Amino acid sequence: MTLLKKFSSCLFRYQIVSLMVLTLPAIQTVNAQEIDILLKGGHVIDPKNNINAIMDVAISDGKIFRVAANIPESTAKKTVNVSGLYVSPGIIDMHVHVFQGTDKYSTSVANSSRSQQADAFSFRSGVTTMVDAGTSGWRNFRTFKAQSIDKSQTRILAFLNVIGNGMIGRFEEQDINDMNPEMNAYMIKKLFPEILVGVKSAHYWGGFTSVDKAIESGKLADVPIMVDFGEHVPSNSIESLFLEHFRPGDIFTHTYSEISAGRESIVDEKSRTLKPFIFEAQKRGVIFDVGHGGGAFSWAQAIPAFKQGFLPDVISSDLHDQSMNAGMKDMTNVMSKFLALGMELKDVIERSTWAPAKVIKRTDLGHLSVGAEADIAVFNLREGKFGFTDVRKVSVEGSKKLEAELTLRAGKIMWDLNGISGQPWRE
Amino acid sequence: MESVGSPGENKIQKFIIMEYNYLQNEKHRHMKCCYSKNGKQLLIPIKSASLMLFLILIPFLSLAQDYDLLLKGGRLIDAKNKIDAKMDVAVKEGKIARVAIDIPASAAKKVLDVSGLIVAPGLINIHTHVFAGSNPGFTDGQSSQLPDAFAIRSGITTVVDAGTTGWRTFPEFKAKVIDPSITRVLAWINIFETGFSSGSGFEPDLGTVNAQKTAETIQKYKDYIVGTRIGHYKGKSWLPFERASEAASIANTPLFVECHMPQYTLQEQLDHMRSGDIITHSFENVSERMTVVDEQGKVRPFVLEAQKRGVLFDVGHGGAGFWFNQAIPAFKQGLWPNSFGTDEHRTSMNSGMKNMLNVMSKYLSIGMSIPDVIARGSWNAAKSIKREDLGNLSEGSVADIAVLSIMNGKFGFVDSGQNRIEGDRKLEAELTVRAGRIVWDLNGLAANTYK
Repeated sequence: MTLLKKFSSCLFRYQIVSLMVLTLPAIQTVNAQEIDILLKGGHVIDPKNNINAIMDVAISDGKIFRVAANIPESTAKKTVNVSGLYVSPGIIDMHVHVFQGTDKYSTSVANSSRSQQADAFSFRSGVTTMVDAGTSGWRNFRTFKAQSIDKSQTRILAFLNVIGNGMIGRFEEQDINDMNPEMNAYMIKKLFPEILVGVKSAHYWGGFTSVDKAIESGKLADVPIMVDFGEHVPSNSIESLFLEHFRPGDIFTHTYSEISAGRESIVDEKSRTLKPFIFEAQKRGVIFDVGHGGGAFSWAQAIPAFKQGFLPDVISSDLHDQSMNAGMKDMTNVMSKFLALGMELKDVIERSTWAPAKVIKRTDLGHLSVGAEADIAVFNLREGKFGFTDVRKVSVEGSKKLEAELTLRAGKIMWDLNGISGQPWRE
Repeated sequence: MESVGSPGENKIQKFIIMEYNYLQNEKHRHMKCCYSKNGKQLLIPIKSASLMLFLILIPFLSLAQDYDLLLKGGRLIDAKNKIDAKMDVAVKEGKIARVAIDIPASAAKKVLDVSGLIVAPGLINIHTHVFAGSNPGFTDGQSSQLPDAFAIRSGITTVVDAGTTGWRTFPEFKAKVIDPSITRVLAWINIFETGFSSGSGFEPDLGTVNAQKTAETIQKYKDYIVGTRIGHYKGKSWLPFERASEAASIANTPLFVECHMPQYTLQEQLDHMRSGDIITHSFENVSERMTVVDEQGKVRPFVLEAQKRGVLFDVGHGGAGFWFNQAIPAFKQGLWPNSFGTDEHRTSMNSGMKNMLNVMSKYLSIGMSIPDVIARGSWNAAKSIKREDLGNLSEGSVADIAVLSIMNGKFGFVDSGQNRIEGDRKLEAELTVRAGRIVWDLNGLAANTYK
C-alpha cells in the first residue's frame, strides 16, 4: 500500500515536472503573444506610481501589461522605439467645452459651433480624457451624450451644469428657477454615474445662489463642484467662497484670471502679492484649476503666484472657439507655459494626469499601473526659443515645448506625429 | 468657458453683448463700465510709451503710422507676382498696402520682425468638409470639422468645402458655418440636391439631379460657390456626372471630381473632364478606382494626356487617399499636384494627413522646392477655383497672409498605408493674418513681452 502510494506520488511528481517542462515554453509563447505594443526606451513619468525613469511600457489587450526596464522586444508583436521621448499617462484635460452642434437657439457653447469636437483637439495634444465643464445641464445632457460623447474616440466625462439647459445662453444661466439640485444629482448619481463626475456653477451675475445650489446637488450626488466665479458685479468674495461655501475637493477654475471687475483675483492687483487666504484654502482642500480659456490666464497673476510658492492643482485648457486660436491653443501649449514658468516636467505631468483623476474621483485613470486602461501620451520635449502668450497678449519666453508624438487610447494608436509606429516606405 | 471680447467677435458674441446691454440695470451698467475701465488700464502704459516714442521720432517721421501692420524682414514668396526675396509687407485697412524692400518701421503702427520666416499669401485648402454639426455623417454632421479649428493654425485663410451640400442645403450651410467663421469658407456645390448623405449606400433619385437649379444657386451665391462637385455615386449612369459638368459650364466654373464612384473608370472620368476641371484623391491606391501609376511604376499615358489637356490634380489626402507608391513615382515623372487639398474630416484628421502643412511638408520631403510648395498652397489653388483675388500679395488684395517657419530636424511622414518616409524640414504656422487681423500667433510675435 505504502509502496503504491510512493509510486503514485512519484508518478504525480513526474507528471508535475513533465507538465512544467511542457508548459515553460508555452508560457513564453503565450507571453510573446500577449504584448501587443511595446514602447521601448522612453522616459516614463507616472506620478501615481512614483516612476520618473527610463523604462519600457508593455500593452496587452488594451491594458497596461507591464512597466519595467528592458522588456525584451521578442516578447512583443510590435515594438515602437520611443527613446529620447517622455512617456506619460494619457493627459486628462479637466476643463473643455465639446458639446458641438448647430442649435440655432443657443447663444453660447451648448450644442453650438462655439464648442469644439473632442477628437479634433485631444489626441494631437496627448489628451485621452476630456471633462466637459458644464456645457450641458440635466435637460440637454442626453443630447450631448448622443451627439458628442457616444461618437467620440476620446473619453468624454462631464460636469453637469446646475442650470437645466447648461450653457445655452448667458441670460438663461441666471434663471434660478432652472437650478434643480435634486434632478441634477439624480442624473449624476443614478442615471449616468460613469460619465458625470461633478456639478458646474458658472457665469452667474448674482450672489452665491448658483454656488450653493450646485453644492446642494454635489452633496446629494457625492461629487465635487466646479465654479467659474465669473460675472458678479460687484465681485463676490473668493475668501468667502473658499472658506465658507466650498467643501474640501470643490474646484475653483480660471485660477489666473484677472478681469478687475466681476471676479476677484488670487493675486492682489496693486501689490502683486498672493492673497493670504489662498494657501489656507488650498490646504483646506480647495482645488485650483487653470481653465486657461480665452480670458482667464494672465501672466500678471501666474508669475507672482508661482514666485510666491503657489502651484495650481490641475492644469486644463478651457477649450472653446474663443480660446483655441488665442493664447491657449491646445493642452500641450498650456502645459508648456508651466514649464516656462519654471515648473518641473514631472509636476506638469502630475497636474495633467493623476491630480485631475483624483479630483474627479476617477482613480482608474491618470496612471500606468498594471491592469489600467492603456491610455498613454508620448511627448517630445522640443528645445528652442518659444513664446507663450496670455489672454492679454502678453508674452513670456520659454526654451522648452511639449509636442505630442504618440497617443494611445485603450491600447490603440490614435495619433502618431512622425509615424514612429509606421513601416519604412520602400520603392 | 472664459473669453475676452475682441474686435472680430462673431455674431453670436455680438448677440450676447446685445443681451447684456438689454439687461443692464444699475448693476450691469456698472459692469460694462468696468470692462471698459479695464481696457483703458491696459492701454495707458502702451499709449504713454508710444507717445514718448512718437515725440522722439517726430523729426524722422514722414509716413507716420500710415500702415496698421508691417511684417518686416521675411522671405516673401508670392507666386503670382513672381517674388521670392527678402521683402516687407505693409497692411492697411485689411488690405495689402505695399510690398517693398525696407519699408521704414516708423511708417506702421505695429511692426513685426519676421526675419528668418516665410511670408506667403494666406493658404487655400480646396478640399475640406466643414459643415460640422449635430447629425451623424457629413451634412450638419459630426464627420465634418469646423473650419476655424483647423485652418487658422495651419496658415490657411480660405477653405473650400467639397460638396457637402447641394442646391437645397447650401443656404443652411451658409447660415450655420460660412457666415460665423473667421476662415473664409467657399464651396463646391454637390450635383445631388442635398449633398452628402450619411451612408455609403447612397442611391440618389436621378430625377432630382438638376443642372439648372445647381447653376442658378452658383450664380446666386457666386461669392461663395466656386464650382460643382461629383462624387460618392455608386450608380452606372453618367447622368449625374454630365449634369455636374453642365451646371459648371453654365456657371463658368470648374467641376471637382471626388472619389467613391466605382462604376466609372479613371479613364472615363478623365475623358469627361474639361480643361480646368479638378480631380482629387489623385494619389489614392484603393480597389474602387484605378491608380494613376501602373504596376510597373509608370504614370498611365492617359493620365499624363489629361494633365497636358489642362485637367488639374488635387492631393485630397483624406484617410485613404494618399499613397507614396503613387505620389513619389508620379512626382518623379512630372505628375505634380496643383493643390494640397487635405480632405479633412473625422477619420483623416488624426491619420497620416494631420493638417495641410503636414501634407505640404510631405512634398518638401518628396523633393518639391519651397517656392513650388508655397505656390501650390496659395496661388495655384486660387487660380484653380477662379478666385484670382486670393492667393497673392498684390497691393490692394485682401490682407490674408501666412507667416511660416521651417523647422529643421528629423521628421517622419506616413501615407494612408502607414508607410513612412523621412524628411529634414517641416512647415509650422507662426502667424496667420485674415483681412489684416492677426488671428493666429504661435509664439506671440505680436505680443508685448511680460515685465
